Amino acid sequence: MPENDKQGLSVVTCTAPVNIAVIKYWGKRDEDLILPINSSLSVTLHQDQLKTTTTVACSRNFQQDRIWLNGKEEDINNPRLQSCLQEIRRFSRKRRNTGDSTSDASSVSHKVHICSVNNFPTAAGLASSASGYACLVYTLSQLFGVESEQLSAVARQGSGSACRSLYGGFVQWKLGTQLDGKDSLAEQVESESYWPELRVLILVVSAEQKSVGSTSGMHTSVETSQLLKYRADVVVPSRMEEMIRVIRERDFPAFGELTMKDSNQFHAICLDTYPPIFYLNNMSHRIISLVHRYNQYYGETRVAYTFDAGPNAVIYTLQDHLPEFVQVVRHFFPPEVNGEEFVKGLTVCSADLSEELKRDINMEPTPKGIRYIISTKVCVHAMSTS
Amino acid sequence: MCFVELFIIDIQSGGKRDEDLILPINSSLSVTLHQDQLKTTTTVACSRNFQQDRIWLNGKEEDINNPRLQSCLQEIRRFSRKRRNTGDSTSDASSVSHKVHICSVNNFPTAAGLASSASGYACLVYTLSQLFGVESEQLSAVARQGSGSACRSLYGGFVQWKLGTQLDGKDSLAEQVESESYWPELRVLILVVSAEQKSVGSTSGMHTSVETSQLLKYRADVVVPSRMEEMIRVIRERDFPAFGELTMKDSNQFHAICLDTYPPIFYLNNMSHRIISLVHRYNQYYGETRVAYTFDAGPNAVIYTLQDHLPEFVQVVRHFFPPEVNGEEFVKGLTVCSADLSEELKRDINMEPTPKGIRYIISTKAGPGPCVVKDPNHHLLGADGLPKKSAISH
Repeated sequence: MPENDKQGLSVVTCTAPVNIAVIKYWGKRDEDLILPINSSLSVTLHQDQLKTTTTVACSRNFQQDRIWLNGKEEDINNPRLQSCLQEIRRFSRKRRNTGDSTSDASSVSHKVHICSVNNFPTAAGLASSASGYACLVYTLSQLFGVESEQLSAVARQGSGSACRSLYGGFVQWKLGTQLDGKDSLAEQVESESYWPELRVLILVVSAEQKSVGSTSGMHTSVETSQLLKYRADVVVPSRMEEMIRVIRERDFPAFGELTMKDSNQFHAICLDTYPPIFYLNNMSHRIISLVHRYNQYYGETRVAYTFDAGPNAVIYTLQDHLPEFVQVVRHFFPPEVNGEEFVKGLTVCSADLSEELKRDINMEPTPKGIRYIISTKVCVHAMSTS
Repeated sequence: MCFVELFIIDIQSGGKRDEDLILPINSSLSVTLHQDQLKTTTTVACSRNFQQDRIWLNGKEEDINNPRLQSCLQEIRRFSRKRRNTGDSTSDASSVSHKVHICSVNNFPTAAGLASSASGYACLVYTLSQLFGVESEQLSAVARQGSGSACRSLYGGFVQWKLGTQLDGKDSLAEQVESESYWPELRVLILVVSAEQKSVGSTSGMHTSVETSQLLKYRADVVVPSRMEEMIRVIRERDFPAFGELTMKDSNQFHAICLDTYPPIFYLNNMSHRIISLVHRYNQYYGETRVAYTFDAGPNAVIYTLQDHLPEFVQVVRHFFPPEVNGEEFVKGLTVCSADLSEELKRDINMEPTPKGIRYIISTKAGPGPCVVKDPNHHLLGADGLPKKSAISH
């Protein structure tokens, strides 16, 4: 509920999670409504480790809408922001007109001040626009009294994958068939408590700006990649079914293999784009190599990687394998000796590595190749209000 | 003894439909490069005194029982016997039953993605055919069974390897599209990033791709056939911008398939990415495709351009990949005129130079198919049938 003070100022603060896709969204069939060419599926991460926090204040005294992101004032006329603001206001007015009087009748016509902060690097391939828009839309909905069922479409029009951040656990964003996009929505596949042993590590290689932004990148892919249409029409639909099945069966080896394959195919599409897009760098390749060698040593898929539009790796594994794998990463990517804490987030127990394992992996260590690791897990609550 | 030129492929073959006969899943097209700059030289000696077949590659004796080598030897001998049986008496009737000593040398690094097995097998097959008197029309299939793309090295200029439809592979052959004199302005640069062994050999790499990449079948069945038609058309029209763009797209798609393989295969490294970036920025500056890249199963770049743009582009490479100051000659092969770069061009490209990122460049052009070397002083084997000392010095 918005707080109202004597100056007619209403303030709401919410947090929203990051989601990491295991079946990737890359390419739109409608640029204005942000409708995808294929469905996608993601895992929502825990907010204790990664989140966007947004405060929205609304007052009759504000002259204009304004927004600050990570301490810097940004252009409120960004079409995506405008889209979200307009849609939320439209829903709010519609609600008032239908007689629901719980919301503040005048607030929707007031200007808003928005302040949003991520506790992780922006635009480094860590899906910050997803959590950012999800948070913005949710916070505005709390302020203006809009039903949560309508938020999926609004968040989606801010940033496609933002709709997946509105739910916890395992979430799919359905492609939809309607031209108006009313059926292109996110829904929960299973909740986070469904697979409590699942763990996530984010290996931060670099916090630099990504080379090609996702929006223009995927647009160029749709325009130039002949393989993309085949992926969207033929490969993804069957992978979506399989992914939902392996999650429901808690089949980690199958989940891991499918996740890695889809990550690789996404990056293959980027390479089949003209001009080609390279999100993976040498360090990403080494991490991929490490995962395959680690799995090969045990003769099963114990660890899986996925990469979004950047060089940072997201690793999925089960809690039993977590200590050893973190130690493997530490061994092959030795951190700065007196640098920052290497493993942040959830505590990871220490583990010893056998000489046999190290020998079998047979890779040259890459000192300081990974700046730090965030250890986290699947999200408990998607959205929260403070 | 024969020289056989290197070739660099424009439309990539990357998968087999038959592993024994080495039949591809799609057609491919290549440009044969000039032997003055890149070649395999092979000497074959045959004598009743030799106890067994033996082979030396780049100075080292290799296993003659390699199935691919055996395949080539057996096929050539079979053709030779067939020819004798049909009454053609020009060949030495007894030689086909003698053992052979083979010595082969490349003047470029082996297994660094410079298609050495193609030139190597083409040369071997061609040389054996000269020795045993086998018709050249039959060589395509024999070379193919040594190393798929070797069949393309049997011709000069622009060469296609047709997919074929027959199960026995008899129609999966190479043929010339246009000769090397058709497009004399076309120039080729090989940017040698590294002479290291490639990470995943082509044979096992493409096998894994066929087994695991869902995108590969679509590429082979749908994308490549139309690209082959287009490539032949743009070569015949000498349309460089279209040729260049298609070449780059096919190189990228090949590497995309490698990434869509499980486990994924990475042939391009950071330096390859920088070269790709440089080419796109250079073309963007001029608003047209003046330069094109293609990469095989390794990090080294092959650049196509027209002779008018060659001096400037070589200078651009030198500027953004400054070589070792007192190192080896940076540009080998055909002479390249010097050129000045405008400040505007350098500023617009806007890339950090990468010192020593490229070890050296080989400047070359399209060239003819295999030929016989007449001068016996160039034989790699001595009168004793063993490699001469000079053949081991490469």
